Amino acid sequence: MTLPFRLLFIAVLQVVLTSILTYFLVTDEYRDLSSQSVDTLESFLIEQKHRELQNYTLLAVSAMSDAYENSAIDDDEAKAQVTEIIHAMTYSGNDGYFFVYDGEGNGVVHPKEPYRVGQNWWELEGENGDKTIQILIENAKAGGGFHRYPWRKPSADEMSEKMGYSVYLEKWNWMIGTGVYLDDVNSQLNKLQREIDQHINKTKQIILVVAMSSIFVIFLLGLILNLSQKKKTDQKISELGLKIINMQEEERRHISRELHDGIVQVLVSIKYSLEATGLWLKKAKVDKPQPLDHAQSNLQDAISEIRRISHHLHPRILDELGLSAAMDALATEFSEQTGITVNVTKPAVRKLVQNSISTTLYRVVQESLINVQKHARASEVNIEMTIKDKWLTLTIKDNGQGFDADNNSKGDDYGIGLRNLAERVEYHLGEFSVHSSQAGTQVTARIPKTSYANTLPVKEGPAE
Amino acid sequence: MSQTQTEQPTRLLLVDDHPMVQGGLSACLSFYDDIEIVGMTHDGKDALEKALALKPDVILMDISMPSMNGIDATEIITDSLQDTKVLIFSMHDSPEFVTSSIQAGASGYILKDTTSEEVYYAVKAVAKGQTHFSSSIAKMLIDKPARDTSQKLTTREQLILTHVAQGKSSKEIARILNISFRTVEAHRRNMKSKLNIESLAELICYAVDHGLVEK
Repeated sequence: MTLPFRLLFIAVLQVVLTSILTYFLVTDEYRDLSSQSVDTLESFLIEQKHRELQNYTLLAVSAMSDAYENSAIDDDEAKAQVTEIIHAMTYSGNDGYFFVYDGEGNGVVHPKEPYRVGQNWWELEGENGDKTIQILIENAKAGGGFHRYPWRKPSADEMSEKMGYSVYLEKWNWMIGTGVYLDDVNSQLNKLQREIDQHINKTKQIILVVAMSSIFVIFLLGLILNLSQKKKTDQKISELGLKIINMQEEERRHISRELHDGIVQVLVSIKYSLEATGLWLKKAKVDKPQPLDHAQSNLQDAISEIRRISHHLHPRILDELGLSAAMDALATEFSEQTGITVNVTKPAVRKLVQNSISTTLYRVVQESLINVQKHARASEVNIEMTIKDKWLTLTIKDNGQGFDADNNSKGDDYGIGLRNLAERVEYHLGEFSVHSSQAGTQVTARIPKTSYANTLPVKEGPAE
Repeated sequence: MSQTQTEQPTRLLLVDDHPMVQGGLSACLSFYDDIEIVGMTHDGKDALEKALALKPDVILMDISMPSMNGIDATEIITDSLQDTKVLIFSMHDSPEFVTSSIQAGASGYILKDTTSEEVYYAVKAVAKGQTHFSSSIAKMLIDKPARDTSQKLTTREQLILTHVAQGKSSKEIARILNISFRTVEAHRRNMKSKLNIESLAELICYAVDHGLVEK
């Protein structure tokens, strides 16, 4: 019992540990991979945005290049013309537009937030403290550059992260820039992150399912193992029980024989010696002394007593005359003691079965009769032994009250006796059954012919 | 047949498993002049040989013995020796033993715990062709008569049935068992009547059904 349990425990522990380890390894690896792919995607998308911005800016610059190239430094007409062009240029719906600030941070063009024009935004700060306009101008002066900063998104009318690109028009001391909002990039990245998280979750579930089913299988196997082991143990116990019964029966037979054929015979011989002494004294015309009489009668008592014990241990009639005669004797004895009528029907042949089987069947009759006497309140018992269709069938049927309903308290010893009998009959490959109703109890024991026929002795005559 | 005390002594064969009982009993019987113990043996098979060789008037036969029990030996002896009487001398007091002995052809049944005097009278009575039973046995047979054993085959009959079922003729069986043809025929008639069977075929069927012979 303890070994399978420990094995089971170890197996389950192993599965649990493996699952946990696998889970952490897999998710860790996954997170690594996912953060790599998110980074890759982000840099790809940003790269794309960069190119986009550069292209738009190039477009804007070339759109105004006619006016700008041919203008002087303070050519207000050209500036107004360019302002108009830039003001009108939009792309990507509402959110793509161009803006212009001069080198000091004064707003020059801003199609979406006109209030910025004509005012100075040099000190304008983003959330992280960056001076947005200053950086844009710096980038522009450096020959074009990118900067990420928070800005109001026109289409959504709320703050959003924006990537700005700016170039510098040296002649006019203007910074021209444009930008795209990064929320679609972020949403793409978030989506990817979500997908990855879902994937990890799914993996987690798969591992959980695999682990649970493994544990279930282990438990099932353990249960089966346990059951089969229990069955084996039970079988061993019952075999042992039978062995004990057989040994006990053999021992009883042996002791009974020793008593009856040994000690009793010695006592009988002593009895005859004493008688011979008496006869000798009589012949010598001497009166028989009283102690001799006592010895003779005491000896007689001793003989009777030992014979009684011997018979109780094992009925010799079973060995000498066979089962039918032994059943007859048992029935007669039982009727005498209890007043219950016992009818015995048996086949005309004798000594068909070997000793162990006939002893078993004898004990079946004996135990059944004891039960009848104790519990049945019957007036008649029918014992029938038949040989038919390759089966030897023995039934003991009484007309009593049955035993299942009223005799619960006595049911235990009743049951054990019957179970022992069943095992002993089954040991000879036979069948044993008990049917009890209010009309009486019937005990049936059947032994297949194959269990005894091949051991049949054919007795030889004197000439052989 | 009749013998008196002045005539020839009764020739007696003692068959008993236990030499001490034999010793004690023969010591007692030696006080009677009209009984001559012609032989003693301890087992059934040896008893058969001694009986055939000595042809005693009476055999005092124990039941429980190794190799062959006294009842089976009695049946064989009474089959072969018409003039030899068998007196069962046993410790067993169940009526089944008594009726089985009578069926086997015994002329009497006395218990080992009777006095040697009764043994003497029983031997003499049996020798005269009478039957004799210990008084306790006789009383028991009246009080609780043995259950019906008249339908049961004897060991000898069962053996002959086995031979018949194996296809042997009465002549062959007589030769095998060293008994007369007429005895075998008598056994066969007896068996048929006990089993309530008419034909040989039915007899063989019965033997096969009951596992006396392998099909």
